[in-house]
Amino acid sequence: MKRFLTSLGLLPLAGFLAGAVDRFPRPDFESGYQYPEYSYAVPNEMLWDIIDVSVLLILLGIVTWALFKKRTKGPILAVSIVSVGYFGFFRGGCVCSIGSIQNVALAFADPSYSLPIAVFLFFIIPIVFAFLFGRVFCAGVCPFGALQDLVNVKNYRLSRAVTGALSIIPWIYLAFALLYALTRTRFIICKFDPFIGIFRMGGDIGVIGFGILLLLMSVFTGRPFCRFLCPYGAILGLFSRVSVFKAEITPKKCISCDLCHDSCPVDAIKAPYGNKTGETPVEGVKRIVVYMAVLPVLMLAGALIMRWSSPDLARANSEVRLYEMVTAYEAAMDAEMEPEVEAFYSQGRNLGELEASKDAVLRSFRLYSTLAGILIGLVIGLKLLEMSLKRGRKEYEIDYASCVGCAKCFDYCPQNKALAKASVQNPETDR
Amino acid sequence: MSEEKNNGGNLIDGSPIKRRDFFRKIGTALAGASIAAVGVGGATKVKGNRKSDLYWQIDHEKCIQCGRCETSCVMPVSAVRCMHANKVCGYCDLCGGYYRTNAKELNTAAENMLCPTGAISRKFVEEPYFEYTIDEALCNGCGKCVKGCSSFGNGSLFLQVRQELCLNCNECNIAKVCPSGAISRVSYEEAYKFKDHA
Ligand code: SF4
Ligand code: SF4
Ligand code: SF4
Ligand code: SF4
Repeated sequence: MKRFLTSLGLLPLAGFLAGAVDRFPRPDFESGYQYPEYSYAVPNEMLWDIIDVSVLLILLGIVTWALFKKRTKGPILAVSIVSVGYFGFFRGGCVCSIGSIQNVALAFADPSYSLPIAVFLFFIIPIVFAFLFGRVFCAGVCPFGALQDLVNVKNYRLSRAVTGALSIIPWIYLAFALLYALTRTRFIICKFDPFIGIFRMGGDIGVIGFGILLLLMSVFTGRPFCRFLCPYGAILGLFSRVSVFKAEITPKKCISCDLCHDSCPVDAIKAPYGNKTGETPVEGVKRIVVYMAVLPVLMLAGALIMRWSSPDLARANSEVRLYEMVTAYEAAMDAEMEPEVEAFYSQGRNLGELEASKDAVLRSFRLYSTLAGILIGLVIGLKLLEMSLKRGRKEYEIDYASCVGCAKCFDYCPQNKALAKASVQNPETDR
Repeated sequence: MSEEKNNGGNLIDGSPIKRRDFFRKIGTALAGASIAAVGVGGATKVKGNRKSDLYWQIDHEKCIQCGRCETSCVMPVSAVRCMHANKVCGYCDLCGGYYRTNAKELNTAAENMLCPTGAISRKFVEEPYFEYTIDEALCNGCGKCVKGCSSFGNGSLFLQVRQELCLNCNECNIAKVCPSGAISRVSYEEAYKFKDHA
């Protein structure tokens, strides 16, 4: 719509603007001079799409096999290195599954947007795998997760309350990413991607600094970006929670040695827990009902707050900003002309048309920020609910929403070692 | 397996476990259904052929040579470079894209050159014509020469995203700061917008 309007406005002035003005006659060469040809190249995008998707499928397959059949982290480490090398440094980290959320959402909301096939496959394939096998994509296929895992040395634990609070951030990030993508303002996941600058060795210095900070943090605690920022990981976690097949720490009986618990980089292994509150089931149900009643209140509050702040949020949109610049310029004519304002006039656009398009942007901001507010309220409510639910556990269990399938716990479980010895009869494979 | 884990805390005769299993099955079914829905829905939106919008490119008719192409590309040296439409060029001796406007003497001393990287070279063709050539390896896409040529000459210089250098970002960083909205996705056929082809 926006582009349509600008190109319409351009027509009357096209001749004036269009650069190619024959101020000087083109020369008549007498010496038989030949015009040089343009030299340019267009890479084969199709071929790259096919290679990228094939690599994605192969790596996902290897991780799944390592997790369910081989039960060891060796191949996953190899996959991590390949992924960081190929998807990260070689392909520049783009397009990634995390960013693809925005394209897919936009394609559903705006029929004029055409979704590139590779982007769609990068969105859906890891989700299908998560639905079947858990977050095998995160294990080592995602270059961002793999990079954090490769530098990880030590795992200092954060308290349950802090982890719980921080794990809401990915959902809030998702809500804002959808808001800005659906209003065609910016793909904020792409703009604030902390690792892409490292892969490309260039880009915005602030974002690269943040990426380096995250990498330093992941030396001491596993995958801070995955746990506390990544919106795609949050989505994968939903599917992984109810996945068809689930990785188990050991096929044998847990002997509660606590070794696996220490080995998990994302704190996804929950220790046995006896419910000591002495709450009867009826009291428990009552408490949950009260929390459930709070849920709509939180959603309403989120919706109202976000709707109220939508005009401010909309100022990130280029049409809204342009409108502000042009009106400010027209109010003070002698002010210096911003390039945006210069382009506005030279393209022959007028204020009425700009105002209409600004109002359209504001309207869609009002709608989508209300929806984003509802989502944020819902997520906060559900998180509170989840954290207050007490349920007993007799053994060490995996929290499948958080488990990234790195297979580190397998190698720590003494039961697995006994298993490897017994089945292979070869002490060398016993690690 | 779950039957074994069935005695913790406040559970009464196994029913919460069954309930949990039941909820999990519903969750799995819901998840499967939503994947199917998004899969089918997304597949209808997909366009993967060469006619769809694949490449970022500059519409030189909109570009106002603001200089942001040089600084806003995610690449250390911008993927945007200057191209020269020789068939539009006037082959002038006094080139608005070659010399600075305030050049004291018209010779090739560095202080007279408009291009900050010395990417433009010129060759005498025949009286009074000179051929100008951009060394794209040196060009950083600043657009100074383009501005000079569009203001004083035929406008034969223009900026383009070099597709072999461009990473084809999911969202072009320059497109989002371009004051004239000149950068958009184009199809394979329009991967370059040349000046003398239109
Ligand atoms: S959580 Fe996000 S960043 Fe981490 S591995 Fe998964 S998709 Fe990649
Ligand atoms: S940012 Fe836009 S207006 Fe500025 S030089 Fe690049 S294409 Fe031209
Ligand atoms: S003046 Fe700028 S755009 Fe023109 S050739 Fe030199 S570096 Fe490239
Ligand atoms: S798509 Fe990326 S690499 Fe290409 S010109 Fe834009 S910012 Fe530069």
